[in-house]
Amino acid sequence: MQQYIIGIDLGTTNSALAFVDTTRDEAVNLFSIPQLVNPGEVAAETLLPSSLYIPGPSEFVEGALALPWNEQPPYIIGRLAQKRGVENATRLVSSAKSWLSSQNADPAQPLLPLAAPEGVTKVSPLEASRQYLLHLKSAWDQEHSEAKLEQQIVFITVPASFDAAARELTQRAAKLAGYGDVTVLEEPQAAFYAWIARNPNWREQVNPGDLILVVDIGGGTTDFTLIAVTEKGGELQLERVAVGEHILLGGDNMDLALARHVERELAEKNAKLDAVQFHALWQQCRAAKEKLLSPEAGNEFPIAILGRGTGLIGGSIRTKVTRKEVRSLLIEGFFPEAAPDAAPQKQKRAGLLEVGLNYASDPAVTKHLAQFLRQAAKNTGEGGIAKPTHLLFNGGVLQAAAIEERVAEVLQNWLAEAGAPRLTVLENETKQSDLMHSVAHGAAYYGLARAGKGVRIRGGVPRTYYVGIESTMPAVPGMAAPMKALTVVPFGLEEGSKVELPLRKFALVVGEPAEFRFFSSLSRKTDVPGTMIDEISDDFEELAPIEVFLPAQEENERGEEIVPVTLESNVTETGMLELWCVANDGRRWKLEFNVRERHAA
Amino acid sequence: MSRIAFAFRSFFSILFGGSLPEDIAREFGYTKIKPVAAAPPIDLPKPSDGALQMLSILQRDSRLIDFLMEDVAGYSDDQIGAAVRNLHSDCRNSLTRHVTLTPVIDGVEGTYQKLDAAKAPDPNRIKLLGNVPASGKAPGGTLRHRGWAVSAVTLPPVGKQDVKVIAPAEIEIE
Repeated sequence: MQQYIIGIDLGTTNSALAFVDTTRDEAVNLFSIPQLVNPGEVAAETLLPSSLYIPGPSEFVEGALALPWNEQPPYIIGRLAQKRGVENATRLVSSAKSWLSSQNADPAQPLLPLAAPEGVTKVSPLEASRQYLLHLKSAWDQEHSEAKLEQQIVFITVPASFDAAARELTQRAAKLAGYGDVTVLEEPQAAFYAWIARNPNWREQVNPGDLILVVDIGGGTTDFTLIAVTEKGGELQLERVAVGEHILLGGDNMDLALARHVERELAEKNAKLDAVQFHALWQQCRAAKEKLLSPEAGNEFPIAILGRGTGLIGGSIRTKVTRKEVRSLLIEGFFPEAAPDAAPQKQKRAGLLEVGLNYASDPAVTKHLAQFLRQAAKNTGEGGIAKPTHLLFNGGVLQAAAIEERVAEVLQNWLAEAGAPRLTVLENETKQSDLMHSVAHGAAYYGLARAGKGVRIRGGVPRTYYVGIESTMPAVPGMAAPMKALTVVPFGLEEGSKVELPLRKFALVVGEPAEFRFFSSLSRKTDVPGTMIDEISDDFEELAPIEVFLPAQEENERGEEIVPVTLESNVTETGMLELWCVANDGRRWKLEFNVRERHAA
Repeated sequence: MSRIAFAFRSFFSILFGGSLPEDIAREFGYTKIKPVAAAPPIDLPKPSDGALQMLSILQRDSRLIDFLMEDVAGYSDDQIGAAVRNLHSDCRNSLTRHVTLTPVIDGVEGTYQKLDAAKAPDPNRIKLLGNVPASGKAPGGTLRHRGWAVSAVTLPPVGKQDVKVIAPAEIEIE
């Protein structure tokens, strides 16, 4: 029976599930997820590490990997996978989510773990995501046999910067895991819903005309979103007006940077660490970061790495991290006092892209933020930067208070420079540990909002989409014909609405796949459907090509039939962007993302 | 077969063998109970299993056995202190996860604690010290130690794990 609204945060490093029991009250609860925490030991934790470990044939004692719902699972998911992965990294799959939005590898191909030894059957990023979702579903069904997950209303969060193909892959992973209809929701929006849910008097804190900046720094990604507060019929309304690019940079990178720094120092003293010791160091660096960047910080944090082997004290390595080091490495390194016109450095790309993740080449989050605010302002015509009036932080990294302070301080400086009033930091009246669960919490609350029991952020498609059209100019030998872009989906197209392009006809050959190149832009927000853009410049991003196959009809077996079609785009109620080819006689064919061709970029 | 033959065969079979011949028994609807083969010995958990398992958990999570078995005489207090800080928190975490500890007397140590003067306290729970009266009964005294009792133990099933191995040897492949 449909009794629960479920919000799932399918995170890069951790996943969580929150739910509302609609037959009771409107409280959002966290689900404790049973998982293997040690061989032979299942325990429930509110976070499921998004880690998958491919066990070897005789790696564990028989029966040690059994779960309450599966005697012999093919993979280890969660805490034990993370733990064992430290000792044997070549069988560990992590950060699968970042691969879903990768432009230079096909997420449906078995790629991971990248460094797996020969003989290990790899899994695809899509399969890994499916496994995490399947684990959550099995755990839920185990405890709710009367209200199985597939019958519930489910929301899964994705980074705001996920493009249409990555969103579709997320939905596909859910479908393959046996989920019913799922709706995708952007993470920063979910974080904002969580804030609303925890602050019943939120309407007193914002006013029409306000612009709220959500800075979401997760374990592996950073996301920016702007939400405008408007008024309609005396009611406050919220509208998501801009989202930032996908930045593969998060709290884990910061801890790692600190750990590498300490490791280098130790190497100078001839102390070498093995993988397990380095991981211990990484964990302690995280604790050091949180401690030394909090208000009641001391000046140093002792680090002790135990010896390997049975000698524990004999082989132990002692060192310390000072407040000064942490500040210079993390605050100045990742959050420098950048100018409002700063731009993140782009690394020169080699001719051939190596298969791997596009980690942000510039770690300066504040520079990415400056670029985002400039892009957001570009379309309003005022120039400079967009001027947020409120700031909401989300993400586990913000347990280090000094980071929050620095981001706010940099923003205040920019606003002062632009002659704008200071912004207000929205306080999260919540335990710090709850920051890790905000997104799942907000997603479940959003479900209530959709059911009419709360305020809803209007958003629609966060990008403008274009189809590439080869221009008819005479081609220069050795050069591809210049490409033009036809606007097919406008920025902000809302759920449940559609756009037709009746004027532009394409001739498709029956029985042959037709492929379109597909582009998007985060910053061009004013292009209306049908607009032809002559030059595909830097603010366009090429996505996976989209293709359509018009099957030959029975009575017309000759093939070679040419059908004139027009393009139509719509956004489903679950937030999926769909493109259709429509013939004069009303026949319709859906355009599909061709992920197989992705690596050809 | 004739009834007489049945009768004879049954008679002699019972006389010398102690039971009916199998075919005759089947004919009359009796089933012979075959001697049950001795059941393979089931590995029942031994009382020591839980203790070994606990040692194994403490070693895995906090390396307590390594610490206790190490000769620490040569190390400075500083060195030991730095290592033990982590060990202590890890050890405590796994202890509290598997064993629920409660004080026997939930009072403030150093203050007067009333006892039942009419009967001697249960020696399992309370140990009297100092000027203990000959009767073993006392109206009260100063609480020196609250005592510890376990109210719950949650250990994962042993399964096929060899509990006698507290920690496996580790070999790193270069």
